[in-house]
Amino acid sequence: MHQPRMRCVEFVESITDWMEGELTDEDCSVIEEHMVICPHCNEFAAQLRTTVRAMRLVETTGPVRAPDAAREALLEMFRRERRAR
Amino acid sequence: MEPLDEDFDEVSDDLRDAELILLLRAGREDAFADLVDRYYDTMLRVARMYVATKEAAEDVVQDTFLGIVQGIDRFEGRSSLRTWIFRILVNRARTRGEREHRTQPFSSFQSGAGDDGPSVDPDRFVHEGRWSGFWASPPPDRMLPEAQLLASEMGDRLMAAIAELPDVQRTVITLRDVRGLTSAEVCGLLDLTEGNQRVVLHRARTKIRTSLERYFSTSAGV
Repeated sequence: MHQPRMRCVEFVESITDWMEGELTDEDCSVIEEHMVICPHCNEFAAQLRTTVRAMRLVETTGPVRAPDAAREALLEMFRRERRAR
Repeated sequence: MEPLDEDFDEVSDDLRDAELILLLRAGREDAFADLVDRYYDTMLRVARMYVATKEAAEDVVQDTFLGIVQGIDRFEGRSSLRTWIFRILVNRARTRGEREHRTQPFSSFQSGAGDDGPSVDPDRFVHEGRWSGFWASPPPDRMLPEAQLLASEMGDRLMAAIAELPDVQRTVITLRDVRGLTSAEVCGLLDLTEGNQRVVLHRARTKIRTSLERYFSTSAGV
């Protein structure tokens, strides 16, 4: 059996470049080939993508409300600005 | 195995932005309150990187919201609303930081700093022999379901993991992955090169993944 062109230890450092679309066609084919033959790295990539999606969902589902005092001060500023127009 | 397709998110963001801009111009306080709730926390975190104290960061955020209210009628939509907001914020925070003679947070990256070690614990790979560099202790063989990540405990864990990141990593991942800014937008805002931004993003994302992996293992009793 041939040694794969990429090792797992290199795969985990290249995955973001691949996800960001910043690899050459040749490097893309190396990383995609590795994902086909290595279920663990495939899982690693899937987990990383799920992590990224989950962060995006946190923003859309659970905004952190501003502290009451700061929020009220900002709303007061808004009212003042509107009145000044 | 395609890279992330975020078109849907971007379209819904654009619609949300367009609606918010109209409401803000119409003087709707509920729209402004929505904006404050949506951005205050992130803005404070970003501002905090440039200035000496939490109070100074709060001033910068307050001043930025004033700039938003005064400038919304002139906002032409050439960038997204969030990019416009963060540009105002970073400009004001940077000016304040320079007045305080603080070292700018991203300046060290111009010399290639910021690489703080491997993305995965080296002990999880085989060290010797033919399979050196391949997994010895692979990641748990199961998908992290997004529904579970959003259940309150996991959502909290995710937020805590982001909070534990070093400043620069936390800012980049918050702007990119939580707020959905593009790579070019983040590089422009923070004066980072594309390459440096990717290094920081990679470190941050892999740390978050590791943190969730640990959480899953613990909760599953593995």
